[in-house]
Amino acid sequence: MKILLVEDDATTTEYVVKGFTEQGHNIETASDGHQGLLLATSMSYDLIVLDRMLPQLDGLKLLAALRATGDQTPVLILSALSHVDERVKGLRAGGDDYMTKPFAFSELLVRAEKLMQRGNSLPAHTELSVGNLVMELLTRKVTLGGTEILLQPKEFQLLKYLMEHPNQVISRTLLFEAVWDYHFDPRTNVIDVHIAKLRRKFEELGFGELIETVRGAGYRLRQGH
Amino acid sequence: MYRQLNNEQELQTNQHLAAEKARYQQMALTLDRRSFATQIRTADPKTALVVWRSSLDLIGALSMMPDDMPMLPETRDFPILTGGPDKLHILTGGMVLTRYGPVLIATRTDQLGTLIDRFVNAAITALMLTIVLTLALGYLFSKAILRRLVQYNRLSRRIEKGEYSTRLPVSWRQDEFDMLAGKFNRVLDTLENNLNAVRGATDNIAHDLRTPLSHLRIGLEQLPQKRPEELDEACAILTEELDHCLATFDAMLSLTRIEEGQQTLELQPLSLQQLCSDLYEMAEAMAELNEQQLVLKTDEDFTVMADKYLLFQAFFNLVDNAIKYAGEGAKVSIVQQGNQVTISDNGPGIPAEDRDKVFDRLVRLDPSRHNKGTGLGLSLVKAILQRHNATITLGDNQPGLIITITFS
Repeated sequence: MKILLVEDDATTTEYVVKGFTEQGHNIETASDGHQGLLLATSMSYDLIVLDRMLPQLDGLKLLAALRATGDQTPVLILSALSHVDERVKGLRAGGDDYMTKPFAFSELLVRAEKLMQRGNSLPAHTELSVGNLVMELLTRKVTLGGTEILLQPKEFQLLKYLMEHPNQVISRTLLFEAVWDYHFDPRTNVIDVHIAKLRRKFEELGFGELIETVRGAGYRLRQGH
Repeated sequence: MYRQLNNEQELQTNQHLAAEKARYQQMALTLDRRSFATQIRTADPKTALVVWRSSLDLIGALSMMPDDMPMLPETRDFPILTGGPDKLHILTGGMVLTRYGPVLIATRTDQLGTLIDRFVNAAITALMLTIVLTLALGYLFSKAILRRLVQYNRLSRRIEKGEYSTRLPVSWRQDEFDMLAGKFNRVLDTLENNLNAVRGATDNIAHDLRTPLSHLRIGLEQLPQKRPEELDEACAILTEELDHCLATFDAMLSLTRIEEGQQTLELQPLSLQQLCSDLYEMAEAMAELNEQQLVLKTDEDFTVMADKYLLFQAFFNLVDNAIKYAGEGAKVSIVQQGNQVTISDNGPGIPAEDRDKVFDRLVRLDPSRHNKGTGLGLSLVKAILQRHNATITLGDNQPGLIITITFS
């Protein structure tokens, strides 16, 4: 996948470029708004990662200019402004997702991949399977090693999100957004509590290790043993 | 006034001359030639100067008769020379035709002219005096104003240097300057209050950010000595500490923005019943973990115009606190009734004297600050509720705490 990063901070640029390159993506960079707009309009990208505050041309203005040309490339906005209203402004200007700095690359990757997938319409899954864990989306039936487990709605949504991103570290913020659709940092263990309940159900079947806690980062669903 | 006086003089002169004209015409008709000459010779020069050109010579007060004088009532000014101190006089006069020949009747107008000159002089003097007096008074007055401005300037410089308790003097006069000074003082009062509030919070901020920051510093210093297999864990711990600092920092920024109304709210109709069932759904598992019983009761829905995320954040914070502090096995209730929501528990509660303090920034009732949290939660809750025109009160649940939120 081809990604354009418009970011003026060298450290962040290096961090993001290294991350995406390691994941096998092709990434190009622009360090100011004008250069960014020039690249974005002259080349075709699968995703644009855009800093909110840029020299010469502000990120939101760049975005508005890009959208005015009819370009619908998914745009993920990075910003040091964390307020809810800033997020709303970013999405209104035509952004597809909004992330606050500082961020963990793992979270950026999950969001970026989700946006890039949206472009190429994959056939809708009716079943998810990770290792010996199988989830039927229509009947909401979940089996682990052939045994059905009963999940509450929120547990089901949590597990679904983890199964959609196997072997990836998923931050609590991502899970919180995915399951509850509320955009704020809960600063609470609400996610941990739900994960703990899910894990206990797996433990009963002898698969307690399936959901791994990554300290300081979030959770990861292991694909095998 | 000068012009009026001038006109008046002209009018008087003309009337006078007209009267004299009539008198001499009458005299010429009634008197014989000699008597007429006598009358002319003995005419009082104060009333009029009269000259008669008889067949032989000029008879009368003047030794000459200027040519081309108009017939009365038309008049003309003409100069004459006399032997007196004022050598040149201006006369006004005109001709009258009588039985015995032409008679010139004239009157001195320069006396009246002198009067006018005097008047003009007096007026100029008065004007000059007025100007001088005005200038002097204005100078004194402006000097007094200037002195006040200089004083304001000096005091402002002291405030600029950091003496925030300085105030501008307000006099009894209550003039524009006093109003300005009063306004300025009120602004200073607000600023000083805010500054003090910030100063008061600084110690707490220092404590709240310094502790995790010093943990970070220690951790980073020790990283090079870690064995490779310990590195992941050590880095994760440091990241958590850093995230805690960031959370505190973010919370402080949001609090300021919400309190000062800088954050624009995304208002939309929100059902309180829906809000409470969302709350219940999210908090249920947490209560379960603490072996607590979470109860939800709703009755008579109420719709508020609210920023969904912010309001939910505020309510969630309150429920989260109740679960955190009520202790194991407690019962926590969320009750919604119309425009009122109560969140209550049967835990240890908060002593009445501390109930107002909990809303202050960075105040924690646990002095050792062992509980993890930003210490800004309740300040944030209060600020959010205020922006939604809701009130919050803490009460005694006997035992425990009961929080009542009322929307208007």
